[in-house]
Formats: sequence, C-alpha cells, structure tokens
Amino acid sequence: MSRSKLSVLLVMTLASLLILSSVALAKTTLTIWAVDGLELDDPHHYYVQNLVKTFLADNPDIDIDWVAFGSEGAALNNRIRVALAANVGPDIFQSWGGTFMGEFARMGKLLDLTEELSDVPTSEAAKAAMSYDGRLYGIAPFFAIAGLYVNEGIFEELGLEVPTTIAELEAVAEKLVANGIQPFAVGARDEWPILATYMYLVNRYGGTIFDDAVARKVRFDAEPFVQAGLKIQEWSKRGFFGNTPMSEGYGDAQLLMQTGQAAMQISGSWLCGLYADPNQTDQTIGFYAVPVLEGGVGKVTDLAGMTDVGFVATATAADKKDAVVRFLTYAMSVEAAEKEAGRVASIPGVNPPNRLTGMASDVFTQAETIQFWWDQNLPPALTTPVNLTIQSFLMDDTDVKAELARYELLVEDELGSVR
Amino acid sequence: MAVAQTAKRKKKRDWYRLGFIALFLLPALAILGTFMFYPIKETFRLSFMRSSGFGEEIYVGWRNYQRIFASPEFRQGFVNVFKWAFWSVAIQIPLAFFIAFTCVNFRTRIIGRLRGVYYLSNVLPSAITAMLGVFIFSPTSGVIKTFAKTTGWKWLESIDWLGNPKLAFWSLFALATWAYIGFGIIYLMANIEQIPTEIREAALIDGATQWQYAWRVVIPYVSYAIRVQAILATVGSIKLFDLPYMVTLGGPRNATVTLGITLYREAFLNWQYGRGAAIGVVIFLICLVITIFQFSFVNDHSATDHSI
Repeated sequence: MSRSKLSVLLVMTLASLLILSSVALAKTTLTIWAVDGLELDDPHHYYVQNLVKTFLADNPDIDIDWVAFGSEGAALNNRIRVALAANVGPDIFQSWGGTFMGEFARMGKLLDLTEELSDVPTSEAAKAAMSYDGRLYGIAPFFAIAGLYVNEGIFEELGLEVPTTIAELEAVAEKLVANGIQPFAVGARDEWPILATYMYLVNRYGGTIFDDAVARKVRFDAEPFVQAGLKIQEWSKRGFFGNTPMSEGYGDAQLLMQTGQAAMQISGSWLCGLYADPNQTDQTIGFYAVPVLEGGVGKVTDLAGMTDVGFVATATAADKKDAVVRFLTYAMSVEAAEKEAGRVASIPGVNPPNRLTGMASDVFTQAETIQFWWDQNLPPALTTPVNLTIQSFLMDDTDVKAELARYELLVEDELGSVR
Repeated sequence: MAVAQTAKRKKKRDWYRLGFIALFLLPALAILGTFMFYPIKETFRLSFMRSSGFGEEIYVGWRNYQRIFASPEFRQGFVNVFKWAFWSVAIQIPLAFFIAFTCVNFRTRIIGRLRGVYYLSNVLPSAITAMLGVFIFSPTSGVIKTFAKTTGWKWLESIDWLGNPKLAFWSLFALATWAYIGFGIIYLMANIEQIPTEIREAALIDGATQWQYAWRVVIPYVSYAIRVQAILATVGSIKLFDLPYMVTLGGPRNATVTLGITLYREAFLNWQYGRGAAIGVVIFLICLVITIFQFSFVNDHSATDHSI
C-alpha cells in the first residue's frame, strides 16, 4: 500500500472515530420547568435535588436544564400557558395534573405516554390525577391528601380525644375556645386554604355530590353545598377559626400550629415535613382522617387530595421521548425518593420519613374514594370563583345560599344548566 | 434657469431632510409599533373574542363587555379605583404638601434627615412594601398585634385589619399612603424651594402667619405641581394592581379589588383572555380620558406656573 493511500486510510479512520465519539458524547438535554429548586437548602426541595443528582449520575448521556419558578405555582402555571400556546417551552414541567393539565392535553400540547408509563408501579389515584380522557401524560411520585392535623400535646393537656364525628369535633373546638386556644388554623386570606374544610363538609353532608354537580345532575346551590357553607359560617361565628380568620394567611396558619396557638388544621399532607421537623416546631402534631357526620352520607374513607409532586411531558419533547421516559420512570423509583422529608409517596416501597407522614400514609391507604381538589379539577374559569365563594362563608353577613346561586350561574355558563 | 436649479436643489435638500428625520424616527416608531401600538390593537380585537389563549378564537361581539359590566367584581373594582383616586387626591396630596412645606420652612437637622426617611418608602419595591404591610397587620405576629398584646389592649388585638371588608380598604390605603407619599413630598419640596426667599420674607414682614403664607403664597405658587400630582395619583389609582394583590388578593369579598386585579383574574386565572382584554380596553379608555383632561387642564398654566 502506497504511503498516500495509507495516509488517506488513516485520515478516514480518524474522522470516523471522531464522528462516532462525538455521536457517543452528544448529550440529550431535557429542559424541565419546576416549582421546586435545586439550590435551596430546604427539606421541601430535597426530593427534586436528589432526583436530579442521582439521575444525572446514572444517565451520563442526558443533561438537565432545570428552571425553578418558586413554590407558589402561579408563576410556573402562567409561564407554561404562554409557552405552550406558542408551541415552545420545556420538555417536562411540574404539574399537579387535573383540569389544568387536561386543558393542555385537550389542545394536543402534551406527550401521550400511556404505553410507556403503563408499567410504572403507582397508585390508581396518582395515575388518575395525571390522566386526561383515559390517556396518561405524566407521573405523580407524591400524592397529597387533606386530613386533620391535631396538636396532640394540647389535646393531652386538656384531656381531649381526637374527634371521629363532627359533633365531637365541635365539642372539642368549644373546649379549646374556652381555654383560649384557637381550634382551627385556616389561613383564609389566601383564599384556597379553606377549600379542604369545605370539600370535606360537602362530602360528609352529600357524599359525592360534587361529581354530580360537575356532571350537571345537581346545582351547586343544592342542599349539601348550602349546609356545608352554613356550617363554616357557624364555626366562624363561634370563634373556631379565631378572631381574625380573614386576615390570617396560610403562613400565619402554619405559624399558629407550629407555636401551639392553634390546635387543629384541615390541610394537605405536604405539611407533614414541616410539622414533623423538630427544628421547625416543638409541638407534637398528629394526622387523622377528617371526622364524619352522624347521619351524613360521606364516609371516613372518602378523602380529598391530589398530586403533590408530578411531572408532565410536552409535545415538543416528542423527539426526546426516550430520555423523557427514562427521567419520568426514574422519578418514580425508590432511589429517587429516598431523600424526601415529609410527603406521602405514591411509589411502592418508599418508607415514610417520619411518624407524621406515616400517619398520613395510613389514612391514604384506607381511602376508598379520593376527591381531587376542586380548584384543580374544575374548568379554569371556575376555580378562582369557587375559592372566593367559599372564602366568603367565613363572614357573618354572607348569604350562603345567594353566594352559591351566583356561583351556579358561572357554572351554567361554563358547563351548562342542570339536565 | 438658475431659479429652476435653485428650486431643484431645494427640493432635493427637502427630501434629504425628510429622509434624515425618518431615519431618526424609524427606530422609535418600530419599537413603539411593535411593543405598544400592535398590542393595543390586538387587545381591542381580542376583547371581542372568546379565547382561552389556546386554539381558535370565537367572535362574540360585545358579549365580553356585557359580562364584565354585569360582574359584581368588576363593578366593585370600578368603584374601588375611583374611591382610591378620590382619597389619594384628598388625603395624600394635602399630607404631602404639609410635610414638604414643613421640611422647607422649618429646617432643622432632624427634618433634614426625615427627607430621606420619607423618600425611602418610595424607592422600596412594592413587593417589599406589601411584605411590610402583611407584617404590620398579621394576626399572628404582626406589629399591631404584638403591641396590643404587650399593652393588654384587647380591643386593638381583636381588630381584623385585612379581614374585615369595611376596614381592609382603609388598612391598605394607609399602607399605600406611606408607600406612595414620598414622591409627592420630594416633588413638592423641589417646587416650594423654587419660591424666591424675598417673597417669603416680604410675606412674613407684612405680618403673614405661616398658615397665611402657605395658603396665600405657597399653594398658588405650586398649584401646577399639585395638579400634576393629582393627575398622577388618579392615573396610578386606575392602574393599581400590585399592592392590593400582594397584601389581600383583592379580598375580603372584593373590598380591595381593583380593575387590574379583575383583569389578572379573568385573563390569567380564569383563562378568559377576551374578558381580560375587555377590562384592559376599559382601563385604557379611562386613562385616555384622564390624559386628555390632563393636557387641557394641566397645560393651562398661565400666571401660576412656577413649577419645575
């Protein structure tokens, strides 16, 4: 072989090696928009921090561009709407599922991963929250349920039993008021925190009547909705929510529980990490199912809840489907979830990180029905008004029936009249 | 021949001149057109559509306008912004004038330092102001609550500053007065300082009291500045959004809702872009009327115009 031929061969070999190595080194970058951040030293963010760190270590061919929008959620939701409307945006975004996600799915903005994710072990509730019209668009490694947080120290001190019926709950609340302790921390200034209490009361009075109302079989001012509203108003008048419930933000409510100024709170299990952390509170707090109404329709195993941490893939990530599926599957692994500080996992095999989360998990596992948050599961045009309507029940002079009738008009505009 | 050539040269020069002007105006026009005129035109168009921001837009005529004017929330927002504007003019401007007049006419070391304090609130981002507001009024750890607990004043402790619909507006207005008054004070001070010393001295030698000097000399002298302040306060009130939204979310029961908040709710929370755009058009038209009024009213500054 002549020298020139040898040189050509050598150059070609080198070029081929170079191309092959560059192909091998080419990384797929997944852009992920989230509420949780990678930099913050806060237990609430430990799951995503561990997820990204261990995933990148196990998948050297994938890079992650993580953009955090802050824990309020509204910033991410607003940004994602604008981006997806213009067919740009991330490959994956953090989502709580429900109608917000469903609206994107309906418009073809999401990646259908029904086949790819069908074998990923999870709870049926978590799967349902990330589905729309029978198709699966993402995963929900953590699932939040609302329950009754109880300051067990205060209860013990005052000789109170954890209530199992609404009547017992009211008796407990009366005794707490008499002892100068606010029965319920609520945070109604931020509108949505009172929703869980109202959802449970509606369920206890009327069972799954909410589903019937959405299906337009009953009106939103039907008797159970009114009874639940009047009950909240009555509790407010009796001082069960303190003297200034409408000035109290959700942060204030947490502070009241952390400092033992309030004895109970109906809220999501996302607070378990906070209330179980000895650096955050010196109170002993437990998590229980919301009491039932004697003679009512709803059962103790009827829960309210929804995705706590979830991820959804967008249609723009279709050409990165393999990387997307690998990330989402990994996000549902025990290894990824092992650093979580307090949420209730929907990944089989993940042990609760503390007693309080364990109590919430126990309540979750007994669930027969799970009602998704109304403000995540109604059409967007009805979500803010539902929270505002419920918030108004805390005021003494609110005409509950009239407020609900006004809300019904909005519902009729969106979903039609009762058939 | 020479005349024709001169005319030709003049015409050419005019074209050059026009071209030159166009060249300088083009970037500004392009930026204004892209970021101002086009969005305004689109907002008008969108206000006649039903749109969620996705998919097709359906023409609905005046329905969005009918809906927003029928909405109690919008009507309350409408009332609130005008109420806010009225009290801004009625309370904030006299207060700003009083402080500015005191600062200029009674110069002491403390008052000199107070200037900085007054202006500080104006340079704080509204998010910080809102946080301070929440910190002051918080029912768990707020300044007022803590003070009430320390003094044992139960009546003060039980006041629901942000949760009582009758009080929330005024709590917020008090916060806004503190937050926004700084600019008015500095602006009026700058104008009062323009009054020649001789005029002040003449007035005082003639036996005028400080009150008479303020009422008969200073106010007429700075009336133009006061009118500008009134216009700015009114337009600012119509567009108000950040402080009420961050402190009370417009509640309780829409007691602090503004047109800006209703726009945000409709467009970004309820996904009703058409209705949001209709509210935007209403705000635009109100501001336009006020601006026209401003041109005809404020520019009428004959003898009293001494402002800077």
